[in-house]
Amino acid sequence: MANETFKRLLCLGCGFSYDEALGLPEHGLAPGTRWKDVPDDWVCPDCGTPKHMFEMIVIGYAPGGADLAVTA
Amino acid sequence: MSQFIIRNEERGHDLIKSDGSRSSYIAGHPDGFVTRASSFDFHEYQAGRPGFGPIRVFGDEVFHGAGCGYNMHPHHNFVICAFVFSGELTHINTAGGGMVDRLSAGDYYVFSAGSGGKHSELSVTPEDMHAIYLWLLPEQLYLPPSYHRAHFDFRRRRNEIVQLVGDGDNTLPIPQDLRVSRLIADKGQNFPYALRTLSHGIYVFVREGRINCNGVELGYRDSMGLSDLATVSIDILDDDSDVLLVETILIDETTIKVWESEHAGD
Repeated sequence: MANETFKRLLCLGCGFSYDEALGLPEHGLAPGTRWKDVPDDWVCPDCGTPKHMFEMIVIGYAPGGADLAVTA
Repeated sequence: MSQFIIRNEERGHDLIKSDGSRSSYIAGHPDGFVTRASSFDFHEYQAGRPGFGPIRVFGDEVFHGAGCGYNMHPHHNFVICAFVFSGELTHINTAGGGMVDRLSAGDYYVFSAGSGGKHSELSVTPEDMHAIYLWLLPEQLYLPPSYHRAHFDFRRRRNEIVQLVGDGDNTLPIPQDLRVSRLIADKGQNFPYALRTLSHGIYVFVREGRINCNGVELGYRDSMGLSDLATVSIDILDDDSDVLLVETILIDETTIKVWESEHAGD
């Protein structure tokens, strides 16, 4: 499991993304926090959409995008 | 060839009032309300097909009452297009240096939220505002935000398929392999649409009038998606038919395939 690829998920309410590799340190989720370990009652910090309405995506970052995602 | 058909009444129909906690989301409290018919599953509002390729929202919306719309709210990543058909849409957007745009019948925009931006969409004139919203996944995350807008001259561009969005001449750029075209045409005309490759599909939405699309009759607000075919043939059955055509690469379909297998035989 430790070697499993980090996933990216997108909020279908507003487009906010959660990247397991990056976590959301400013929202209390350390880098490397797996989606399954994000609490079930967690909601999108931008629009309040519940966790189960995020969709897993396989989309790369634009140049510099990952740096921006850390502080989104 | 594979296809799906979504009849007008099968869409998710919602009426969202600007009251209670919703008034922070819907503008125009106390009497403003938005009606929204969603072709695809959107929020908690519908249990239908999740999308088509990178398309996640195809929302047919009316803002009712002066001051109605959506209050300032954030977006990331999604590419949001709006096509205005009646009334006036005032669009306040923080993308770039920030701007206020006013769109009326025939106007349309492509807003790529990318690394983040906020926007508010309001109808400030007495007429109801009708627009169709298209949301899609971008080809890359956290792109620089961008906003482009243009006008479709519906009085002059008749009886031809006119491309509005995507790679082409005089079209708005979009960070996805996707093209939006509009066709306003009269009874008796036929229009073939050749898809770029067999990896592309097309979503055909009849806003007004009646057409026959590859053997399927579609009326007011009916739509269908087609894939794994080279050409789509559209016969116009009523005068003043108004059709939107969205040709898209069929990627990001994992969620959709799961839904299809769960609903096989429905």
